[in-house]
Amino acid sequence: MDINIKKSPTSSFRSFYLFFIVVTMQVGVGIMGAPRWIFIHARQDSWISILIAWLAIAIVVAIMLLILKQYENADIFGIQVDIFGKWIGTLLGLIFIVYFFISNLVVLATYIEVIHVFLYPDLPSYAIGGAMILLVLYAFVGKGGLRIIVGISFLFFVISQLLLLLVYEPIKLINWHHYFPMFQSTPMDILKGAKATTFTLLGFEILFFIYPFIGNKEKMKLPIYLGISYTTVILLLATMISIGYYSLEDLPHMEWSVLSYYKSIAYSFMERLDYIVIVLWLLTVIPTSNFLTWGMMHGLKRLFQIPKYISLYSIAIITFFLVIIIKTDTFILTATDKLANYAIWLVFVYPFVLLPCVYIKKYFRKQKYKKQRAAKS
Amino acid sequence: MRNRKSTKPFLPTTLDNLKQTLQQSFYKNSDLTFTVHKKHGKKLAVFFISYQIHTDVLRDSLLKPLLEDLKKWSNEEIENNIPIGTKEKTDRLEHALELIISGSAGIYIEGETEILFYSMLNKEKRALEKAETESLVLGPKIAFTESIITNMNILRWRIRSNDLVAEEYQIGKTVSHEVRLVYMKSIANEADVNTMRQRLLDLDVDEVLDSVVLKQYVEDKQWSIFPQFDSTELPDRFSYGLSKGRVGVLVENSPTGFMGPVSLFSFFESTEDMFMRWNAGSALRILRFISMILSILLTPLYVAAVTYQYGLIPTNLLITLGTSRAEVPFPPLLETLILEFMIELLREAGARLPTKVGQTMGIVGGIVIGEAAVQAGLTSNILIILVAISALASFTIPSYLMSVSFRLIRFPLVILAGMLGILGISLGIVYLIIHLLKMSSLGRPYLAPLYPWRFKDFNKVFFRTPPQFYSRRFKSYRPKFLFRFSKREAKAKHDNRD
Repeated sequence: MDINIKKSPTSSFRSFYLFFIVVTMQVGVGIMGAPRWIFIHARQDSWISILIAWLAIAIVVAIMLLILKQYENADIFGIQVDIFGKWIGTLLGLIFIVYFFISNLVVLATYIEVIHVFLYPDLPSYAIGGAMILLVLYAFVGKGGLRIIVGISFLFFVISQLLLLLVYEPIKLINWHHYFPMFQSTPMDILKGAKATTFTLLGFEILFFIYPFIGNKEKMKLPIYLGISYTTVILLLATMISIGYYSLEDLPHMEWSVLSYYKSIAYSFMERLDYIVIVLWLLTVIPTSNFLTWGMMHGLKRLFQIPKYISLYSIAIITFFLVIIIKTDTFILTATDKLANYAIWLVFVYPFVLLPCVYIKKYFRKQKYKKQRAAKS
Repeated sequence: MRNRKSTKPFLPTTLDNLKQTLQQSFYKNSDLTFTVHKKHGKKLAVFFISYQIHTDVLRDSLLKPLLEDLKKWSNEEIENNIPIGTKEKTDRLEHALELIISGSAGIYIEGETEILFYSMLNKEKRALEKAETESLVLGPKIAFTESIITNMNILRWRIRSNDLVAEEYQIGKTVSHEVRLVYMKSIANEADVNTMRQRLLDLDVDEVLDSVVLKQYVEDKQWSIFPQFDSTELPDRFSYGLSKGRVGVLVENSPTGFMGPVSLFSFFESTEDMFMRWNAGSALRILRFISMILSILLTPLYVAAVTYQYGLIPTNLLITLGTSRAEVPFPPLLETLILEFMIELLREAGARLPTKVGQTMGIVGGIVIGEAAVQAGLTSNILIILVAISALASFTIPSYLMSVSFRLIRFPLVILAGMLGILGISLGIVYLIIHLLKMSSLGRPYLAPLYPWRFKDFNKVFFRTPPQFYSRRFKSYRPKFLFRFSKREAKAKHDNRD
């Protein structure tokens, strides 16, 4: 396997789009229910937890970029093989692929669950799941590919931001006393809240995969950091509205708190905007699933040279059957819980291990190079 | 067609032989006139198809000098003395036949090795008329005709510059048509020109019926519902496109030309927007975008709201809706499909009938059927309003082909809404957007300048700004020359009012 990927102008995209990719991946479906999980731990000090999580993510992203910078044009698969050798490197790559696969499953299953709870309790999962998987497939067949899914995430982001305009209505109904007294939670609780936040904000690890396809890498830092900050602001907004809007006793029991406060918005020609919010959330689910699928396809191609269409169709079919089987929300709960625990190791701790390894490898390579030169002369 | 080699040696021959060969080639067709003249000790034949040529020209400019003035008959002598500009020589039978068909008179002196042809084409064509399908309030009214010579003539007069290149190709194997590839040499992107030329040359079809048919052959994605080239019968729209760096194609016998690359949004653009003041132009263009969204979403939303998500509609409105639907025996999906079908029926019937009867159709259809349908309790009032609005909205799109596409998109969306409510609509829209993202026109992205994002092009697509902001061309399609004029100098006015 080549450690670096050849640059090609036809498959790369401008770094401007990184903002949208990062935001799409981070928002995912988690944000719909996130305020409750943060609130359970950190109560009215949730905002501190979110800011801590933001700081942690910013640091991790900086480490990731530092790792990627050491190579010419490599992704995580190439780097791991380079450092840990073929076998361990492939195994670690496989872990990333499995992580993506489970994330994809969780995203789709959560959305189906939301549809069941809010719109159609009786709609069979295979109908909605199948439709979503077909849409994801459609972005890849024929002329599709990375550029198309970047476009999807970009356009859908623009459309779905219209939903943000609607939140002024719940904001008007906020009880400001809910935020006080401040600084009541213990540091441990706040850190637990931060941990809950980080799971919602996962998704920026896609950088490890798409890095070789960024066209102008010298300009990529700003969009990435803006992206993670934007998501944090959105989450902060969603959480603060939830805390102010619901009574402190109710919020821990609201499973999809973000969706519920859209219910209160009413216009003379339209009510129950939560319906609209839910169906427009498809615009985030599809690109998220697209990127996860692309990551898996790309990884399988890099590690095992499996042709993309084979991995695409097999991923789609397996996901489809698993989505049908998983019906109860206990699965989502346990899976997300477990995934959160593992993912935090993979995304937040692993880069800190990888970075010194990369530096050591680089150092030895330099020494070797110097020796070779010395031997030659 | 011209590449075909004649198999046997053909010239020189005797006049009788020639006559026989020609008549055989035309399968004993009586159309071919073949006259033999004798003078100066030589035999000479003149042959042509009588209705394809100007007989006056034949008499005055060919036969008269030939029979009266010329002292001796030889090809060279004739060439030097006949006052007709377009002449050709050939020694191949196929070429000769082709020339006879396309309106040339042939002269053959017995014993010579080549036939001389003089073009005196007499082509029946209609006069220039006002555009019918694309009508404008302001601006030039003239439309293309079926004659490619007339069309090129109009175009040359609009763009009086040697920059305008019109490459000529013959397309079609059994019946060949003249096809012109038109572009501005200094503006059009060379890659686009080459792509279009390559696609035209690669075509291997027996006959091209019309430019609109040729267009479908050379489109990027033939399975898509959206047109990928802009067809127009307006020379001003055509030349406007060329001056933006597009590559145009004109086809003999077709009153429409097409050009590319285009984006989805350029179908919503009318030259009229440019003729109006920028604020009015912007308002109209934005109106068209809103009407596009309305025309696809209005009826599906009705179906979804009435079938599944009544919650979407506030109580007061729901009561109005409920009373109007109380008598209707059909489910909303069926009701909507029936009414949409009726509207399409009216439109199609109106388009096929002559204008005078067409108006009556509108009255009969719109008022009588609509009113009666409500009275009979077959549909609800509100749905009639919605269907009428969405039909009207779809007609605001300046391009006829695009407006047909948009009306058709509505049907699957209505059915999806009937199946899955607003989730169905959402799935449909997501599919549509992915589809549009994947499309291209001449290999250029179809959703430009939205994706790839180029904010500088927005004032050329989504709204209009005062003219000095048009100092650069549409960047998304990479014209060869971006610069149009200097913004500062364009604004400077040197008024002298003393």
